[in-house]
Amino acid sequence: MIGHVLLVAVRDYRQVISTRGFKVTLLIVPLAIALSIFAAIRLAPQYAVAYAMVDASGRHEQAIERRLDRDYQREVLRSLSAYVERWDLAAADPAAPWARSGRARASDEALTQFVAGGGIEGAMRRLGPRVPGGVPRFKPPPRFFVRVPPPAGVPTDRGAEAFGAAMAAPLQTDVTAADGKRPLAVAIYIPETYGAPGVVARVWTNGRSDAGLTAALRQQLSADLRREALQASGLSAEAAARIEGLRAQVLVGDPSADGGGRNTTAFKSVAPLALVYLLLMTAITTGSLMLQSLIEERSNKLLESVLACVRAEALMYGKLLGLGAVGLTIAAVWTGCAVAAAFLAPGFAADVLKPSLATLGDPLLVAAMIFYFLTGYLVVSMLFLTIGSLSDSMQDAQSYLTPVLLVIMLPVVFTVQAVARTPDAAFVHVLSWIPLYTPFTMLARLGGGPPPLEMVGTALGLIMFLGLELLLLGRLFRASLLAAGQPSRAEIFARMLTP
Amino acid sequence: MSAAVLVLDRVTKRFGDFTAVNDLSFAVPEGSVFGFLGGNGAGKTTSLRMALDLLRPTSGRIEVLGRPPARESAAEIGFLPEERGLYRLMTVLDTVVYFGRLKGMGRGAAKAAATALIDRLGLRDWAAAPVSKLSKGMAQKVQLAAALVNGPRLLLLDEPFSGLDPVNQAMLEEVIGEAAHGGSTVVFSTHVMQHAERLCDRLVLLARGRKVFEGTQDEARAALPARLTLTCRSDPHGLPGVAHAHGAGHAGDGWTRWEVALRPGADPADLLEACTAQGFPLRGFDPHRPALHEVFIHLVGADQEIAA
Repeated sequence: MIGHVLLVAVRDYRQVISTRGFKVTLLIVPLAIALSIFAAIRLAPQYAVAYAMVDASGRHEQAIERRLDRDYQREVLRSLSAYVERWDLAAADPAAPWARSGRARASDEALTQFVAGGGIEGAMRRLGPRVPGGVPRFKPPPRFFVRVPPPAGVPTDRGAEAFGAAMAAPLQTDVTAADGKRPLAVAIYIPETYGAPGVVARVWTNGRSDAGLTAALRQQLSADLRREALQASGLSAEAAARIEGLRAQVLVGDPSADGGGRNTTAFKSVAPLALVYLLLMTAITTGSLMLQSLIEERSNKLLESVLACVRAEALMYGKLLGLGAVGLTIAAVWTGCAVAAAFLAPGFAADVLKPSLATLGDPLLVAAMIFYFLTGYLVVSMLFLTIGSLSDSMQDAQSYLTPVLLVIMLPVVFTVQAVARTPDAAFVHVLSWIPLYTPFTMLARLGGGPPPLEMVGTALGLIMFLGLELLLLGRLFRASLLAAGQPSRAEIFARMLTP
Repeated sequence: MSAAVLVLDRVTKRFGDFTAVNDLSFAVPEGSVFGFLGGNGAGKTTSLRMALDLLRPTSGRIEVLGRPPARESAAEIGFLPEERGLYRLMTVLDTVVYFGRLKGMGRGAAKAAATALIDRLGLRDWAAAPVSKLSKGMAQKVQLAAALVNGPRLLLLDEPFSGLDPVNQAMLEEVIGEAAHGGSTVVFSTHVMQHAERLCDRLVLLARGRKVFEGTQDEARAALPARLTLTCRSDPHGLPGVAHAHGAGHAGDGWTRWEVALRPGADPADLLEACTAQGFPLRGFDPHRPALHEVFIHLVGADQEIAA
């Protein structure tokens, strides 16, 4: 029987992998990753623009420039921290602000420390010697906004209207700044009496910049006006600045002081959650192939020839094995591409998957992922095989397929969302014990580390369910395939339930 | 008689209220070409499926190659089902090799046998082509090759001639003959009596699931009252064994042609002997050899769908 199972499996595997549909399916993820890499390299949004500013009041421009620089330094720190985490370089200086993870990395205190430490230059002096060979050098993001002087001929002393009208043409052009050519995207005019009632600051933009500059301008001007108002009320400049700089400090429930625990759990969940979707996609893809293959054999009247040589059970196991191998091939290629992209190229896979893979050091976790993936695959495949053995045509199969797909997919999608938001929801625990959903739910929960007892219990339940499913499907398969359309479906079910 | 390679002993198969095969018994001697004849719905395919363990009988006993039907016998059996089908994307050679391997052959042996059969069936140029590119007739040959690839001891062919053009039917008859000469026992079902007439050593006639006849072709013909044309001067009604006779026209010089039917079991040779003994003048004595088709109609009735 094993020989027959293998022969059927190899035949089905070879038939499927030779089809164009399979090759296209195989290319989906590599293409998506390639697009993500291309987008990361070529199509990233261009926030780097130039702006021209006239501050006729002379009171705000320096504060605005300082504000924009601080925003830029915060982005550099964020980017550097992600680089350090990605390449595991925190050991270079564990106390450095760029060695922090989670929300702590972007705090005001961390930013102040970063700037005081010499910004990116200071950080690279510490970090540079510790970067191993093969790891690309950190490349700081370009400055978002670079100030350039108003183009020659643009009047700066004849009021906002004249300045704005003269800037209309230059705002359609690029200008050369210290770091190269940039679009001249924004023009700002702050009147001499800005702050007096009815006097407004003016901003002209050509749409080539996002709203970041305008928002920063508004915030800084508001802060300046508040500080001036406080001083006008009799406070000293220091007191006014202190009051203006007050920010409510709220620590949001991170499990560890620096938020790393929460972050690690989130990273740990990425690979298992990705596996849930991978499982869903590959199981449904290969399940459909299995369905087609079985229906082809039924509608081509091939079955009698095959079943004259092999037992129905051997045919069923062979199909499960062969098309299971197809699914695993898809999963392996997709996973391989994602892992390769995570380690070798920028883009989504590198940003999200690599840190997640780095957290998968626990062999038990990896073993559990493999177990739930394979069992989930079997559970779904056998459902498809059941449909195939009850259907004489694809049209016939569709009537069974739609409700079955809904029954599988909807709870799984809800589960994944529930696990991401509230991993301890009762809904998630209940689904963990329903064998049809156990593989998906437990896979999704693996990042958060479900209780060992629950893992063992659900795994045992799942194994028993698989055994029962295999037994019943074997009977159904035999009864249905050998019936040659003579008995009704009800009779087939009845036969299935009798030994 | 040599040992039987296929035995059905009081086999009945019911599907709900419908009895497809009813108390059927027969035995197929080893080395024979055995015809399994009957109209549509006579129970031929159901009987073959039971012999292959594709269906289980409701009652009765079946023995194939000395054992109860089981897949373990597949290595010694070749089967061509009535409803033909192949894997459309597989090549001709791979298809035949695959079935050889399913029947327990090694890869090399299966490939060698498949190649030889493909050549024999005129498909050499198509060996590497996918089945989807073949005509219906060629696809049927591929399926025949798949049935023959293991050099079966027992070859079961269910309506093997259906769908084939006359040239390919003749070729199939040759292939069946070759298989029989090679030592295979061939059992084939058909409702086309001409093929049975040319090929069968023995046959079973089925009607509505029941056996109505089993034996050789001569025994089958003997079941039909003999008919002959006599050219004589006198009325042959009084001759021994004659059931009835009618004039069929003058033959000149006072001679008359008579169409004569003998009583069941009466032998035309006995009639000739009686004519000689009685001095009954004869100018012509032409016994008719009844076609199997006539035998079938006589035995099972004209309402059964058959083809001459």
